Amino acid sequence: MSKLLVVDDEANIRLLYSQELTDEGYEVITAATAAEAVEQLKTHEVDLVVLDIKLKNESGIELLQQIVKERHDLPVILSSAFSLYKDDFSAWLADAYVVKSSDLQELKDEIRRVLEKKGRLKAG
Amino acid sequence: MDWECCWKKKEITAAECPFIAEGEEVLYGALQQRIMEKCLECPRFRNDMERLKDSGDPLSGILPLVVAEYLEQKAKMASMTNFVNRKTREMRFLHELSVVLQTSMDLDEVLSVAMTAITAGKGFGMNRAFLLMADKDRQYLKGYLGVGPRNYEEAWQIWQDIDRTNDSLHGMARTFQKTKLLSEKVKFQDVLEKLSVPLTDETHILNRALRGKKPVLVENAFHNPDVDPELAAVLGVDCFLVMPLISRKRRIGVIVADNCVTHKPITVQDMQSMETFAFPVAFALERASLYERLREELSKLTAANVKLKEQQELIVKMEKMALVGKITSSIAHSIRNPLMIIGGFARSLLKNSDENDKRRAQIETIVAEAKQLENVLAEVLSYSDSLFPAMDMWDVNQLVNSVYVEMLERLKQRGIDGHLDQTTDLPMVWIDYKQISYCVRALIINSMEVMADNGAIWLKTSREGDCVVVEISDNGPAMPEEIRESLTTPFVDTQELGSGSGLPVCRAILERHGNEFIIEDRPGGGTIYKMKLPIKKGEPMHE
Repeated sequence: MSKLLVVDDEANIRLLYSQELTDEGYEVITAATAAEAVEQLKTHEVDLVVLDIKLKNESGIELLQQIVKERHDLPVILSSAFSLYKDDFSAWLADAYVVKSSDLQELKDEIRRVLEKKGRLKAG
Repeated sequence: MDWECCWKKKEITAAECPFIAEGEEVLYGALQQRIMEKCLECPRFRNDMERLKDSGDPLSGILPLVVAEYLEQKAKMASMTNFVNRKTREMRFLHELSVVLQTSMDLDEVLSVAMTAITAGKGFGMNRAFLLMADKDRQYLKGYLGVGPRNYEEAWQIWQDIDRTNDSLHGMARTFQKTKLLSEKVKFQDVLEKLSVPLTDETHILNRALRGKKPVLVENAFHNPDVDPELAAVLGVDCFLVMPLISRKRRIGVIVADNCVTHKPITVQDMQSMETFAFPVAFALERASLYERLREELSKLTAANVKLKEQQELIVKMEKMALVGKITSSIAHSIRNPLMIIGGFARSLLKNSDENDKRRAQIETIVAEAKQLENVLAEVLSYSDSLFPAMDMWDVNQLVNSVYVEMLERLKQRGIDGHLDQTTDLPMVWIDYKQISYCVRALIINSMEVMADNGAIWLKTSREGDCVVVEISDNGPAMPEEIRESLTTPFVDTQELGSGSGLPVCRAILERHGNEFIIEDRPGGGTIYKMKLPIKKGEPMHE
């Protein structure tokens, strides 16, 4: 079973993603801040990170840069309410970019695609 | 003694003097006047003087001397009177000419007066004249205007016309300006095109006249080593006059005049008369040219002012829109997360609820409404995005092609025929690729939404001056005028336009780029949307 780390400062979004992605057959752990995320990455063997760009008082892009620097093989999908970031060069470091929507199908499709591409899709 | 002549008689009859003409009847009774004007030149009087000589009178030897001296003085007087009369006419003509030249600011009027003065009989009476003017960069003397007949038949016609009119020089010039200036410009086009002399060619006869600041009378032109054979061949005459036009030490141009039809010799006197005329003409030509240039600059300045005003208004409008955009963007983003949570959980509930659950319809409503709100939000955000362009040079054909390919499937589903007509080798355009792509896509979607199935949509690219035009047209219903007008307002309620925001967003994007967005009826039904995109890099309007 692939393990996903959801990083979002909004508790309800973490909850929604956890439920939906668990239903999809993934093991989901969450983090509300960049520090929590770094901690989770240290203690868990994570296959993919779903990362919100705007964390409370923090930049998701900075966390993305840190992850790419330290764990270049770990795929990251950016999830944001801001479609503008799609054109931000620094956001291109991510493996995919999904604009937040109540319909999580696009996010789910992207997770599957990236995991398959990186050889990290593990059967539950 | 009986004298043959009537000088002895106080009064005479017509039969006694055959030299008194009609209108001179007063001489019959005016003895002194008759003697001075008629008798002294009469052969009968000369006979009488011979007879007087024979009579041995002591005065008979002196009288012929006195008479001869008187006649000589009289001839001199007549010649002087003639000279004075001619000079008076010349002065009057020059005065008339200078009054017109001093007061006119109109280049065409100055040209008409100058060229009429040279060629009209009451002026200098030359058959033909060409004006060459120094170009703006002062590199070349170039043929500007020719006046005169091209052949004898035409000359005859012109002289007959002149005989019939009794106009002043100004009147003739006015008639010329109204009726002939244009045709004369065209008539001598072939000659004028060949009259081009670099101002640096110091040996050329025209430049020599300019340097010497004096008219040059050219004779034996075809065999004259000082004359460019090409000039002689173009003019086709052996003798011509070159009159330099110099104003305040500036070389304005040259007038070349000749008698190509009558071949009347050009005299030194003709040359001197024209010399007097050259300065006011040069001055007036310079002033009129400067005035014309001033007017050109003024109209450019006026146009720039209008453009500036438009830009200022646009900036004010854009500033307001940018502010609206920022506020909307901020609100929209803070709404997106809760909306996503509501919709997301509703979907989750729906997915996990029993098929017979009574609440299912209500949850479905929440899902649908949340989705609807998210769509509205996406449109609001794309509008506020449009207020922050990222400009660069892009290939518009590649852009249009990419949107067309992307839309092809949706067009097929609706049974709408898509046609792509691209002009090859178009220059790159200065645009925000993402925003213009949005516009092309939005216009196609808009056309699809308002038209019935099985319609057609055409995408066309073409070059128009400094722009590349992207044209999207459809054969759907024509757009009512009030809707066309309402497109200036974003998010106007236009159900007839489908979801409604595509066109105002397009307009906002294109206005922000300073580009033209035209909506017009398509002949045969439907609507044409045109976006004019600049091929030159411009200044972005906003950071």
